[in-house]
Amino acid sequence: MSALELSDIQGTVLRGRPMPYYGTYLVFTVQNPRSALTLLERLLPKVTTAADWEAPAENAWINVAFSHAGLSKLGLPEDVLSGFPREVRQGMAARSAFLGDVGSSAPENWDMPHAGNGLDIGLLIMAGSIALRDDKIAIGHAAVSGLPGIVAAHRLDVGLPPTMREHFGFVDGISRPYVEGQGGTPLPGQPIAKAGEFVLGYENELGEIASGPGPQELWRNGTYIALRKLHQDVAAFRRFLRDNANSPEGQELLAAQMMGRWRSGCPLAKSPERDDPAMANDPLRNNDFLYLKEDPDGRVTPAGSHIRRANPRDALDGTVVDMKLHRLLRRGSAYGGVLPEGVMEDDGADRGLVIALINANPGRQFEFVQSQWMNDGDFISEGDRTDPFAGRKDKADDFVTLKPRKRYRGLSQFATTRGGEHLFLPGIGGLKWILGNAKPA
Amino acid sequence: MAPTPAEKAALAQNVTNQPDGPGKRIGKRGEVHVIGNVLPGGGKLFRERIAQFQAEAGYWETHVGTVHDFRVLLFDNDTRILISAIYDGDFLPYLADVINQAGPWFDMLMPGVWEGYTTASDTATRKLIGRQAYTADAFYAGYPDLTTKDIAKMRKLRDAVNAMLDSAS
Repeated sequence: MSALELSDIQGTVLRGRPMPYYGTYLVFTVQNPRSALTLLERLLPKVTTAADWEAPAENAWINVAFSHAGLSKLGLPEDVLSGFPREVRQGMAARSAFLGDVGSSAPENWDMPHAGNGLDIGLLIMAGSIALRDDKIAIGHAAVSGLPGIVAAHRLDVGLPPTMREHFGFVDGISRPYVEGQGGTPLPGQPIAKAGEFVLGYENELGEIASGPGPQELWRNGTYIALRKLHQDVAAFRRFLRDNANSPEGQELLAAQMMGRWRSGCPLAKSPERDDPAMANDPLRNNDFLYLKEDPDGRVTPAGSHIRRANPRDALDGTVVDMKLHRLLRRGSAYGGVLPEGVMEDDGADRGLVIALINANPGRQFEFVQSQWMNDGDFISEGDRTDPFAGRKDKADDFVTLKPRKRYRGLSQFATTRGGEHLFLPGIGGLKWILGNAKPA
Repeated sequence: MAPTPAEKAALAQNVTNQPDGPGKRIGKRGEVHVIGNVLPGGGKLFRERIAQFQAEAGYWETHVGTVHDFRVLLFDNDTRILISAIYDGDFLPYLADVINQAGPWFDMLMPGVWEGYTTASDTATRKLIGRQAYTADAFYAGYPDLTTKDIAKMRKLRDAVNAMLDSAS
């Protein structure tokens, strides 16, 4: 195991978001590649790394990522461009059929640019206060100031709603893998993952050094981010709970069975009958559970619940799937205003989640989880059935619990894709390599 | 009167290509063929090993859990090898898992037989499979929406229903 070169890795790879958090995603379109290199040159000294990530001097960061289209515009050598993973080269919109981004989730309905229509460079900003966030945004604006041919194409602000929950009412972001070499000790129930699953240049779970395109200087300490913007239909979710449960307690149980956790974050696996907020708030207990021995059939945590699909833990042991090959570092953050408590009709406002999924191999990590676990059910003997929250509903729109034995029908598209892209997030050395080797046309 | 070609084509299945290939796909069912070259002396090694490979097929394929049938044969006077499989779901997303899990089974047969094959875990072997994989030009699948898991579930249900009916008779 080699120590992670933290001062060369961009901060968002290893740093969990602050709490509360205030963030912004800025999307730039490059019309003048030389200006883009100047932008990069200006940003380079400002980019926050993962150094001191456990006790950062500043509770804020600014990171820079590129779509394949953006790298192509910058003028990276053709043999380097062709060496990126297929998913990154094609872009997420082109992969929509495979990823289940169809119907209302289809790219033609997206309102955040993707690589095919303007996402060339992305700035990822996250901070513990509005003032700190605005400082970082100012850095971004200063970097583009006076540069011709750099178009600010989109801005999306994210922030913890006053409810301290994501819009469906759940506490979010509890479970994450412990990255080997990150320092500290893993929490109970936290799987230890090889660094090469999340950062290029380190050994991965196949025993190989995770590598990227072109020379090592470009990809070492870099990674890929699958960025997803998901609109949440909160009113439809509330109506579904109301129409399928006889009491407020019944609604809470159904919501918990769909998620696999009570809305407090307390896992069903640890407290099947009722919510236990003390458990939810205890990092030594709130993630310390497995499925295979205690709950193989999903009587407590339904096999089709969101957290069991996204992270089956040991439930697939003994099958072809090796869980270690399909892990993600998930950074979720909410956008949009809260739909007031008790409102059952959509107010037309856009609200939802932006999820940044960090992975060194987009094909066998994000795209595998999305296509096989979110949007299919065969791996849990549930045919075409999809995830109750994040899955496409044109294939199947039902959800099953075993205790009580019940099949709920008519789930609607509670989460709709409104944007997405595979981005390359180079290390600091990689950014320097791009500056030194890009040859804009 | 004999059915017209158009009438016979009315029962055509919806055949697509696997996302990112290789292989065709009907419903849940996918197919793939891999054709490689055999090393000199590979035929003899193959025949020495094939009985144990065959004996272990049930163990490994049950472990993989998504394969409906699988074949391997040498042809052209022991100069070429054909591997074919009919399986559930996508091909590429599961390739790393299948190689990772069933690698030891292939490693007992292929080294010294299949030209270019070192060990299952070698990246070069994965690239070899990708290079030498072929897609069928025509494909038919019976009950293409039933996966091996669905079939196992239906057998369990059938047995339970029969037991219930028997107990009532």
